[in-house]
Amino acid sequence: MAAKTDEQGVTLAAPSFASAPSSARRITLASRLQTVAPPIVAFGLLIGAWEVFVRWQQIPVYLLPPPSTVMTVAFARWGDLLTSVSTTFTAALAGLGMSIIVGITAALVMSQNKLLERSLYPYAVTLQTIPIIAVAPLIIIWFGAGTPAVIIIAFLISLFPMISNTAAGLTSTDHNLISMFELYNANWWQRIVKLKLPFALPYIMTGLRTSSGLAIIGAIVGEFVGGIGGQRGGLGYVLTAAAIRLDMPYLFAAAFASALLGISIFMVVSLIQKLLLGHWHESAIAREG
Amino acid sequence: MSTTKAAATDPSPGSPTIPLIDADRVTKVYKSGTIALENVSLRVREGEFVCLVGPSGCGKSTLLRVIAGLGSITSGKVLVKGLPPDRARRELADTAFVFQDATLMPWRNVMGNVELPLELRGVSRVERRQAAKEALELVGLSAVAKSYPRELSGGMRMRVSLARALAARPRLLLMDEPFGAVDEITRQHLNGEVLRICALAGWTVVFVTHNVFEAVYLSNRILVLSRQPGRVVAELAVELPYPRLPEVRTSAAYGHLVGQVIQLLN
Repeated sequence: MAAKTDEQGVTLAAPSFASAPSSARRITLASRLQTVAPPIVAFGLLIGAWEVFVRWQQIPVYLLPPPSTVMTVAFARWGDLLTSVSTTFTAALAGLGMSIIVGITAALVMSQNKLLERSLYPYAVTLQTIPIIAVAPLIIIWFGAGTPAVIIIAFLISLFPMISNTAAGLTSTDHNLISMFELYNANWWQRIVKLKLPFALPYIMTGLRTSSGLAIIGAIVGEFVGGIGGQRGGLGYVLTAAAIRLDMPYLFAAAFASALLGISIFMVVSLIQKLLLGHWHESAIAREG
Repeated sequence: MSTTKAAATDPSPGSPTIPLIDADRVTKVYKSGTIALENVSLRVREGEFVCLVGPSGCGKSTLLRVIAGLGSITSGKVLVKGLPPDRARRELADTAFVFQDATLMPWRNVMGNVELPLELRGVSRVERRQAAKEALELVGLSAVAKSYPRELSGGMRMRVSLARALAARPRLLLMDEPFGAVDEITRQHLNGEVLRICALAGWTVVFVTHNVFEAVYLSNRILVLSRQPGRVVAELAVELPYPRLPEVRTSAAYGHLVGQVIQLLN
C-alpha cells in the first residue's frame, strides 16, 4: 500500500482508501478477540460444571466419565486416536474431492443444455433427500466393506451441495458481462473459464463449506456400517467398538476428535475461501467493514 | 459533413460515402407485445458524436444493442459499415460498448479488466499490457492499475470501463447512459474526459442519455425519442464549436439549445 501511495502523483484522491486497511486491521484484531474469547470462556465453564457435577453426584464412569478422565485416556491413547482421525480424514477428503470434480462438472454440463438440466436436476435433488444411512448397506454390498465403500458414501452425501451451488452460480452471471463477452466475440471456452466459473466461485465456495462437513459425516456413517476395523479403523469404527465395550472415556475422546476434525476442515475451507476471494468478494471481506 | 447523397442507392461496402451506421425504419417488438422501437431511422457518419435523448423506456438502449449486434429487430434494416450488425461484430470487431454501470469483473484488477477485449481477441500478453497501460494513462488511472474494482469510487470505475473500451481500439463507441449513476460533478468531469479522448482517438460515438444538458454538451447531433413506442420525434444539430470547454455550459447558445431539446421532449 505504501508503494502505491508513493507513485500516486496528483491525479487521485486515493490516499483515503490507501491508509484505511492498516487501521482496519488493528480494529479486526481487537474485535476478533471479542468474538473468540466468549465462546472459549463458555466452553471452559461448561467443562468445569460437568467435572464438578460428575464428581459431586458420583456418576459411574460407564454412564458419564468426567472430562479429566476423558482427557487422560485421550492422551494415553493419542497414537490410536490420531490413526483413526487420519483414516476418517483421508476417506472424507477423497469423497469430497470426487464430489468437487463431479459436482462442478455436472453443473457445467447442465448449464450448457436446458434439456439436460430439466432431465437431470430433479434426480440431483432426489439424491439429496435420500437418507444416506438407507443406501449405505447397498453400497457395502456392491463395493464390499472397506475404504472404497466409505469414500463412496462420503462422496454421495457431499455431492448435492456442490451441484446446486455451482449451478446457482453459473446461472447468475451478470447480464452485461455476458453481453460484453459476446460483443468482443469470446468463444465458448473463454466464456466458461474467464467469466462463468470465476463468477460462480463464491457460490462454489459456499457449497464446499457445506460439503466438507457432510463428507466427514458421510465417512463416519460409512465406517459405522462397513468400515475396516482393528488398528487402522476410522472414527466411525472406533465409536461403535468403544460403545459396545462400554469404554465411555474413549468413546467421548473419539467423539471430541470427530468434532475437532469437522471444525478444522471447516476452518481450512474458510481459509481457502479467504485466499481465493479475499481481494474481491463480499463474502470474504464482510468482517472488515 | 454534408455528404448525404448515399441514401437512395446501395453503395459498395468500404466506400467513404457510406455511413458508419445506417438504420432504416427499424421496428422492434418484444414477445410481450411491447413496441420498443417503431420506424426509427438513424444515419451516423464517421467522426460524428450523436446523442439519443429520451425518457426511460423509449427504446434507446435497445437500439444501441441492435447496432452492437447484440439484439435482433422485428422489421427494418440495420447496416454497420455496410454489414449486418452481427456480421460487423464478428468480422470487423471495431465496436466498443460502455454500459450503464461499469460492468467490471470484480475478481480482476483494473489492469486485468482493461486488457480483457484484447485478451479475448488473442492479442499477445506484452502487446495487450502495453495497450492497457496507454488506455489507463489516457483516463488518468495509471496509479490504480493494480487495485480491484471494489476499492474504487463509482466515477473511477466508470473511467476504468472507458479505458477498457479505449484499449479495444474501436472506431465506433456505443455508450448506454454511462454516467447515469454518478454524481453531477463527477459526470461533468467525465463528460470533459470523453470529449478529450474522442478528439484524440477519433471515435465515432452514439451516446444514449436522458440528460439534456449532457446531450447538448457532448454531441454535434441530437435525436429526440418518444416513449412507447420509441419514435424519433426530432433531430437537432448542435452547432457549438469543439473543443468544448466547461465554459460552454454558461453560453447563451448552449442555454438556447437545451431549451429547445426540453421543449421537444414534452
